[in-house]
Amino acid sequence: MGAMINRLALLGYAGLNVIAALGRSGVFLFQALTGRSRFGNAFELLLKQLYSVGVLSLAIIIVSGLFIGMVLALQGYMILVGYGSEQAVGQMVALTLLRELGPVVTALLFAGRAGSALTAEIGLMKATEQLSSLEMIGVDPLKYVIAPRLWAGFISMPLLSMIFCVVGIWGGAMVAVDWLGVYSGSYWSNMQNAVEFGSDVINGLIKAIAFAFVVTWIAVFQGYDCEPTSEGISRATTRTVVYASLAVLGLDFILTALMF
Amino acid sequence: MAVSSEYIVDLQQISFTRAERVIFDKVDIRIPRGKVTGIMGPSGCGKTTLLRLIGAQLRPDSGAIVVNGQNIPELGREDLFAARQQMGMLFQSGALFTDLSVFENVAFPLRVHTSLPEDMVRDIVLLKLQAVGLRGAHKLMPDELSGGMKRRVALARAIALDPELMMYDEPFVGQDPISMGVLVRLIRLLNDALGLSSIVVSHDLAETASIADYLYVVGDGQVLGHGQTDELMNSDNPRIRQFMQGEPDGPVPFHFPANGYIDDLLSRERT
Repeated sequence: MGAMINRLALLGYAGLNVIAALGRSGVFLFQALTGRSRFGNAFELLLKQLYSVGVLSLAIIIVSGLFIGMVLALQGYMILVGYGSEQAVGQMVALTLLRELGPVVTALLFAGRAGSALTAEIGLMKATEQLSSLEMIGVDPLKYVIAPRLWAGFISMPLLSMIFCVVGIWGGAMVAVDWLGVYSGSYWSNMQNAVEFGSDVINGLIKAIAFAFVVTWIAVFQGYDCEPTSEGISRATTRTVVYASLAVLGLDFILTALMF
Repeated sequence: MAVSSEYIVDLQQISFTRAERVIFDKVDIRIPRGKVTGIMGPSGCGKTTLLRLIGAQLRPDSGAIVVNGQNIPELGREDLFAARQQMGMLFQSGALFTDLSVFENVAFPLRVHTSLPEDMVRDIVLLKLQAVGLRGAHKLMPDELSGGMKRRVALARAIALDPELMMYDEPFVGQDPISMGVLVRLIRLLNDALGLSSIVVSHDLAETASIADYLYVVGDGQVLGHGQTDELMNSDNPRIRQFMQGEPDGPVPFHFPANGYIDDLLSRERT
């Protein structure tokens, strides 16, 4: 009986911790994003983060997009050719990328490439008292360190997702048209007929924006909230990748159910 | 807000607990204006916590922290960041911004809080670096500096805005004798030359005693004693004497609380 109650108490304790962390992260987000920065160089700070979060993620996004588009075309062709409808491979590649794989895979890669870097960087700034010393200089680290990183993530990830889709479609064309001999006119015009701007392109973009928000929020908060030791930073970095990936996949299901 | 009072910082009945451990229990500490005040005590007694309370990086459970007439825990976020501009703090690790050069680190507070023209920023930064003897190092990056030099650059950064109150968190830890001597002299020199009030939190007795005008000894969540340095040295209180004389055993026990020694050795229970 006592052990039972202990278990129950532990469960309650864990539940309370989760709710407390949710509350902290909400307040954190609110304080970072509201109110104007008093520093004249806010744009400069944002540019620097856009570069390290966005531009430096380009390579992995382009290469992954290319290969995923190629694989989609190859797999799609092999199935569709059995029904004699291989000219539909273009619309299949485009719809899969725009609706699902573009936003989701970009978000997962972004969490691994940029999210973990954000967490580690902010965690290390906390461990080396750089955040405290900003506070004591009279500069709010939420405005100076956190806000530019949040905005950089929000802005760059949807753009990366679009680039991913474009490169993927192009990679699909390379395999289907140039290699497997699908007629290029049917690849492109079937795609043009099947893809709706509103329901496919825009919905995909909405997904990417939602994922950008969640992934960046998790990454930055984990860094800011981590235990300021080397072990704490390593755990926070792991948590960023795990939580962000799970959140993206779960959210994807919900958004898909609502959208399509 | 300039309030002419004898004390720049006035801690009234401060209580603070962390993870159910009482760090301070209704503590009163007053920091005299224009002096160097040492706050001493064994490791883990909450000395650094005290500085973080004054800088409002932590909030007390109860009590008032009056700095220059303002009760710090009651200030809103904006006022707080304004109040902090009058405080300089030297962190144990120096906490330089690793992506900025020495020059830019010292210029940082000037750039974010003032709109001085670039040549004036340059003059002020070089003045401050000259004061800590590192003008020649202004082009270096923080990872090219030794530990003592980092701390001196951080000191130059902390005084860049000419604060009224300087707080030093364990400034002597891990320093070789030369840089220790340099820091000891600098703290005294800056205090007198710039008309600051300084708080030095430390457990290095000799160094702190040599520059402090006034000493507080804290421990067990209480102020164990305060007074001029020589008064404390000859204190009757056994706890203060143990700390001041550096005796290993006394009211602060050498041994962590444990079961009987013999019982522990003879018992078969695996630990």
